[in-house]
Amino acid sequence: MEDFEQQLEFERKMTNALARKPQPPTFEAKVFAAIATRQSRRGIFWRWAAEMAAVILIVSGFWMRYEHEVRERAAGEAAKARLQLALRVTVTQLSKIQKTVRNSTEQE
Amino acid sequence: MTFTEVLRANQSMVFSMAYHFLRDPGAAEEIAQDVFLRLYRKMDDLEDARHVTLWLRKVTSHRCIDYVRKRGSQSTVALEEVAEPSIAEERGDPLLNRRLRRLIATLPEKPRMVMVLRYQEDLTPEEISDVLEMPVPTVKSHLQRSLTMLREKIERSMGDIR
Repeated sequence: MEDFEQQLEFERKMTNALARKPQPPTFEAKVFAAIATRQSRRGIFWRWAAEMAAVILIVSGFWMRYEHEVRERAAGEAAKARLQLALRVTVTQLSKIQKTVRNSTEQE
Repeated sequence: MTFTEVLRANQSMVFSMAYHFLRDPGAAEEIAQDVFLRLYRKMDDLEDARHVTLWLRKVTSHRCIDYVRKRGSQSTVALEEVAEPSIAEERGDPLLNRRLRRLIATLPEKPRMVMVLRYQEDLTPEEISDVLEMPVPTVKSHLQRSLTMLREKIERSMGDIR
């Protein structure tokens, strides 16, 4: 029984020793200042992110246009090459026909 | 329940938990500030005052334990040199209180936080078990062993404290 009372008394002393302490007087102001700083940092970050997104959009727009032009030019070059080949084939065929006609005329 | 109301109602609890655990007013203030910054971001998810208090106790306990573990073997302020925050009126014998706080600071992290929650916040072992996410028998065992050890130490150093 005596030990139980001693235990209770010791626990009461523990409660006294660990009573809540007042926070420093500037604590509340510091918390609000830290929140404001964090929000302002977040604002700077989002502005920077928006600017980066705009730059990326502009650069990718220019890149897509450049790619389109390169593809168009390549397609034009290929068409030109095909036309030149067709003309060469035609010229060769015409020359053969002309030669054949000339030979038959001379024989007559 | 606005953030300002919650801050005003709980700042002493959060600061004191960190202070009694760390015995370093600067670190305690830093951790308490960080806890309220986290609360500011989390406010919308917390339903009522009881939920907020439980959340604050959980986050403060874990932040304090992490802080001590990260600090590890780095040199710390000697407990004898720690300047205590001014207290308008301290219950009981101030010298004995100080001696007990120094002895509590020598406990390992988990038992130390169990003691802070039990005697600063007057929580039951079941409530402490919720905060620290540990089984109730473990909480009771930490309490029993810490009390026995502290009693022996204080009796050795100061004689019978009755």
